[in-house]
Amino acid sequence: MHRILLPAILLVCSILPAQAQDLQLILQNHASEIAQPSRNSVHVALEDIMGSKLDNAPRFLERWADKGVWQEDATGLFYFGAAKSDALTLTDINTSAQSEAPTTGYSQLKPNGGVRRKIGTALVQFQLTDDDTARRETAVASIARRPSEEHLEPLLASIEDEPDAALKARKIQLANLLSASFGKTTEDRIAAINSLAGDTSIEARAVLNQILTVTTSAAKTLPNANIARTLDPMDAPIASYAQLVDADLALPLTAPDAIRTGLEANIEGGRVGGIPLIQLGTDEGRTKAYTALAATGTVPALVTTADRDAAVASHVFFETYAEPNTEITTAARTALTSVERKVGIAQSADLFLDGLSLASIYFLAAIGLAITFGVMGVINMAHGEFIMMGAYTGYVVQLFIPNYTLSLIVALPAAFAITFAAGVVMERLVIRHLYHRPLETLLATFGISIALQQLAKNIFGTQARPLTSPAWLDGAWVYSDVIQISYIRIAIFVLALIFLALILFVLKRTRLGLEVRAVTQNAGMAASMGINPHKINMLTFGFGSGIAGIAGVAIGLYAKVTSEMGADYIVQSFMTVVVGGVGNVWGTLAGASMIGFLQKGIEWLNPSNTLAAQTYMILFIILFIQFRPKGIVVLKGRAAGD
Amino acid sequence: MRKSFIMQTPSVLWFLAALALFTLSVTILSEFSGVDIISTSFVKTLGKTLCLCLIAVAMDVVWGYCGILSLGHFAFFGIGGYAIGMWLMYARTEGIVLTNMANQTIPATPQEISDAIGNQIFGVVGSSDFPLIWAFADSLTLQLLMVVLIPGLLALVFGWLAFRSRVTGVYLSILTQAMTLALSLYLFQNDSGLRGNNGLSGLQNIPGFETTSQATISIAFFWASALALALGYVFFAWVVSGKMGSVVAGIRDNEARVRFLGYHVEGYKLFIFTMTAVVAAIAGALYYPQAGIINPGEIAPIASIYLAVWVAIGGRGRLYGAVIGAAFVSLLSSWFTGGGAPAINLGFYTIQWTDWWLVLLGLSFVAVTLFFPKGIAGLFDYLVRK
Amino acid sequence: MLRKLNLTTQVSALVLASAGVVSAECADPIKVGVLHSLSGTMAISETTLKDTMLMLIEAQNAAGGLLDCQIEAVVVDPASDWPLFAEKARELLTVNEVDVIFGNWTSVSRKSVLPVLEELNGMLFYPVQYEGEESSKNVFYTGAAPNQQAIPAVDYFLEELGVEKFALLGTDYVYPRTTNKILEQYLKDHGIAAEDIFVNYTPFGQSDWATIVADVTALGADGKQVGVISTINGDANIGFYKELAAAGVSADDIPVVAFSVGEEELSGLDTSNLVGHLAAWNYFMSADTPENAEFIAKWHAFIGDEKRVTNDPMEAHYIGFNMWVNAVTAAGTTDVDAVREQMYGQQFPNLTGGIAEMLPNHHLTKPVLIGEIRADGQFDIISQTEPVAGDAWTDFLPESAVLESDWKDLKCGMYNTETQTCVQLTSNY
Repeated sequence: MHRILLPAILLVCSILPAQAQDLQLILQNHASEIAQPSRNSVHVALEDIMGSKLDNAPRFLERWADKGVWQEDATGLFYFGAAKSDALTLTDINTSAQSEAPTTGYSQLKPNGGVRRKIGTALVQFQLTDDDTARRETAVASIARRPSEEHLEPLLASIEDEPDAALKARKIQLANLLSASFGKTTEDRIAAINSLAGDTSIEARAVLNQILTVTTSAAKTLPNANIARTLDPMDAPIASYAQLVDADLALPLTAPDAIRTGLEANIEGGRVGGIPLIQLGTDEGRTKAYTALAATGTVPALVTTADRDAAVASHVFFETYAEPNTEITTAARTALTSVERKVGIAQSADLFLDGLSLASIYFLAAIGLAITFGVMGVINMAHGEFIMMGAYTGYVVQLFIPNYTLSLIVALPAAFAITFAAGVVMERLVIRHLYHRPLETLLATFGISIALQQLAKNIFGTQARPLTSPAWLDGAWVYSDVIQISYIRIAIFVLALIFLALILFVLKRTRLGLEVRAVTQNAGMAASMGINPHKINMLTFGFGSGIAGIAGVAIGLYAKVTSEMGADYIVQSFMTVVVGGVGNVWGTLAGASMIGFLQKGIEWLNPSNTLAAQTYMILFIILFIQFRPKGIVVLKGRAAGD
Repeated sequence: MRKSFIMQTPSVLWFLAALALFTLSVTILSEFSGVDIISTSFVKTLGKTLCLCLIAVAMDVVWGYCGILSLGHFAFFGIGGYAIGMWLMYARTEGIVLTNMANQTIPATPQEISDAIGNQIFGVVGSSDFPLIWAFADSLTLQLLMVVLIPGLLALVFGWLAFRSRVTGVYLSILTQAMTLALSLYLFQNDSGLRGNNGLSGLQNIPGFETTSQATISIAFFWASALALALGYVFFAWVVSGKMGSVVAGIRDNEARVRFLGYHVEGYKLFIFTMTAVVAAIAGALYYPQAGIINPGEIAPIASIYLAVWVAIGGRGRLYGAVIGAAFVSLLSSWFTGGGAPAINLGFYTIQWTDWWLVLLGLSFVAVTLFFPKGIAGLFDYLVRK
Repeated sequence: MLRKLNLTTQVSALVLASAGVVSAECADPIKVGVLHSLSGTMAISETTLKDTMLMLIEAQNAAGGLLDCQIEAVVVDPASDWPLFAEKARELLTVNEVDVIFGNWTSVSRKSVLPVLEELNGMLFYPVQYEGEESSKNVFYTGAAPNQQAIPAVDYFLEELGVEKFALLGTDYVYPRTTNKILEQYLKDHGIAAEDIFVNYTPFGQSDWATIVADVTALGADGKQVGVISTINGDANIGFYKELAAAGVSADDIPVVAFSVGEEELSGLDTSNLVGHLAAWNYFMSADTPENAEFIAKWHAFIGDEKRVTNDPMEAHYIGFNMWVNAVTAAGTTDVDAVREQMYGQQFPNLTGGIAEMLPNHHLTKPVLIGEIRADGQFDIISQTEPVAGDAWTDFLPESAVLESDWKDLKCGMYNTETQTCVQLTSNY
């Protein structure tokens, strides 16, 4: 009964002059549009809601965009709602009266991103001068996302009373951007444009690029317009001709398919255009037959490549600015050129940062190996699995300690301890029996590697596990829109530096380091000097493995934690150590830097195909080792060993 | 000469006899002969295993006899497979296209035929142009030649560069690993011209034998694989038995001394490296028509490591050891992952072998290297001595 | 009589719900092959589907089985090794003599199995969204074709989000390549200039996303609304989304719609920074229907873990298995040819509401859902279309537009509508 009555009542109400306009009524007028909004049609409802000038209208829009509005299925009425499991707290839109209800029978409204943006734009006028800073920030963000002419005035008006200094600066910046596009006078616009000359932000470039939007067209002669440039059609004759065809200035080329269809439709007694069918198995035969048909008018005339070139040559192709004012486009062009030069430099800097970050990741993954392989000469194929163990340690710690910062502080030493222990066990049980058979350590440790990998799968499952970084490592250090790098990568870089220092210190400045070097150079001699080589080997191996564990936590934080993550790094790490030069931590650093920067460099040359970049890099490494078989940093003298 | 070689190495005769017996009994018990105790899919598995034994023999020669631990021989195996796969795909698709085009009112131009074949083969990977490397795909003879030539040339160039720079030991292992990694990464690219990650598929359908049953085809390939293994075995047994064998073993044991004795060490190494690469490629060319599909994952570095493990488990430095190792591990692997092994219920936990097989395998590598450095074949010595 | 010798016999999981009530008339037990990787790289996704199948079979047996027989599940492990898929499929069909196979995830594994299925006239239900451009008499595609996932998602980008510039990011393999090729053409047809389409392919398991994310944000420099269409596969998504979150790319600035990211993938990362990014599927766990609630409850009971999520390919198996059961019942036999005839026109309710129907081209009609990522790793369904008929050959590439698949009347999977001929009966592999 309600269902029929209510819309009828609503209909009557809405026709009546709305002396006591109420929001629910307006909403009911647009009920279907509000329940199932679409970006292209929502403006009608929005205009009505905003036009009502009701106090609760902005609040409704905010809640609507935040998916905080519910509709009762039976009556179609809208409520503000907050769901808690199956219970729903409803707030009447008009009266703010609260009530409780189960979620069944109510549907949550979920406007999509496009609609939310429209709502945001509509809210700007209210929010720009709101008392709440957060709301003003939202408004500014909305303007930045979709700059439009109507916002310029309110924005300018709101600058003066803005109490928040940072927001005020942002408003001024935004107003400047807007006036470059929508300023009243040419002088205003040019002034604004000129002020953008040094700004590498994406917004500024967007404004300049928008002003410089061009359309490409073709004509017999150059028209009188703000021409950006004329084009040489023979650079891309096919595309140019397609343009002519689109503009109805020429006939389309006769495609091979069209020829065939034309011929097929005109077979007469085993012949087409006088040519026997058997001869139509070649292009020449077909062209001949088609020309013959065209001569009789049964098919359209043949348009050949020569015709195409002639047509293209007889037209001019040019780009026209959408902006008619030459002064503005010239100013914008000048500004953009200078911006782009700066952007180019900034991009190189950003690429450098990316390379540095990649190098530090490779370094971190390989540095444990630099000790076990580089210093001790043990090929540990299970190194990757130590990385994995470290990462899983991080995951397990997070299961027990929900505070991400604290869990990280616990996870790092825990990962070190666990992989150190694993390394020591492995050295005692397996590797110490194989010091004289280096190639066989490769097999034994490979066996351990696949066993560990499968073990991890059996314990943790095949699904990737979350390892979440603490909030203070979220986000990125932003120098400009071009130069930025995430904090997590910076942290990894710092971690890599710390380890470099730590390892150098341990090897060069401590008793342990001295003994390690002694044992690796001549175990027999070291033993006779009172050093226990077994203990030293064990500790060294454990140390190298422990570092791999810490690397695992770092890598897990920025990428993923799966049982196969170690395998991704193992080949890469060996190459890093070999390229750098075995037996030297500095060598590993050099190797990691070279590989990291090289990979970024190749990626930059071929941005659409990362896989190709990796292939070329490995080819380069192969060649490099051919010419420097001992790596970048070559040990001299007796330490070189073999 | 030949007689003395056989006399010197009676194990070759024993091996050939065992292989012949095995081949015959499988044939008699197969679906092909009508007895049908061994299913066609198992005949294929056995045929593939023979190919793996052949590459293991090659690996044994290069590693067990010459001391080069190559972690890249599966690259050659894969290239062999790709080379034959290109012809198989091209010829089969050409057959389909020509049959279809025969119905057209107008005879097709060569361009149209080529386009249609290209579209069929590469349409799957979102392209339709014929890459340059397919230039000879229409000729079986040329592609067969490629099976031998490309891996041979690659091994020759790679080996020449590496041996000339005196890259040895672990460095060489890592270098060969880099080679196979680079090749697999290259092939993983969709634009490599060899259908990227999808690789070449449908290779079990042999053009010209569309009506022949897979039971017959599987036996034919099984025989071909057995023959190839026999020939490869005899060839390498001959190579390692003569004077050359002594030099090669000398290089393994002390490269510098052999060099000082005046031998051209690089030449010997290069010969062994290249010959084993060619044999590996032939094994691959026989393997993939039985597997039905080849793709870049097949030549990922891990495959070559497994190869080394087979040889180590079987017993290095004797050719039958390699055969035993490859057959034993790959068949066992197939049995365990197939779920053939019964689950063990421990009460509180049930061991499913699909989950635990790799753990067992990994630990057995460790055990073999630690306790049986001579592998399974070494056990024979032990028994003989007893 | 000699038992067939086979080294790789299978785990025969005879699922008997009502303890040992096997009907006496059941001379020929009904066997269902489950061909999903339980080890290797794909185990991450496929193990769930194996469990789904076991659950469905258990439920069917509890409900009295099929044709008076209990259904026996034959589970094998192709170990993410593509050639092994062909080997195992042959084994299932010839040694175990299964009546139907449910399996595969990756396209390449399907292509590996196809020749075997066509040679031995098997029947496969393939549950994953795929690139289309294929039609086999022996495969029923219960996942989405490009026009049931990619095209509606792009429409949503164009119409609802007003995206003017597209970044198509994908893993370098067949599904992204083909999908992107179709999408590029589709976008060009909708007035997007070629220079406004940025395409990038990365290897499987890519973890270094900084440069690519920077490239994508830089696309906004000409003031156009940028959107990302992601066909990035598997683990690589985790690094990608982490980098996206770190770079502060919000869904309001640059929306990302993913075709391979579902509830299962999101469980590997913290989604609080990804709220609002999108995914397009035919099923979301958050779908609010009684059927779905029941399915989720059954799943949780079967797997014994309340935290396990459900996903789109699971629904595909659910629909596929039930349709097969109904078709077998209708045909009164498990004979492949007879069942296939009965499959056409089979109807079964979707978990998201509406009815799925099996078409003569072996695809389903499915509604397309677009969901926004929520902080709890689930999706808010913000758009749901009417059921869309799956199209084996896309209409947006000229060479495929003329092709049609109709196994019911035309008896051809690759029928050229221009020349009115059947191009070929076997499929491309």
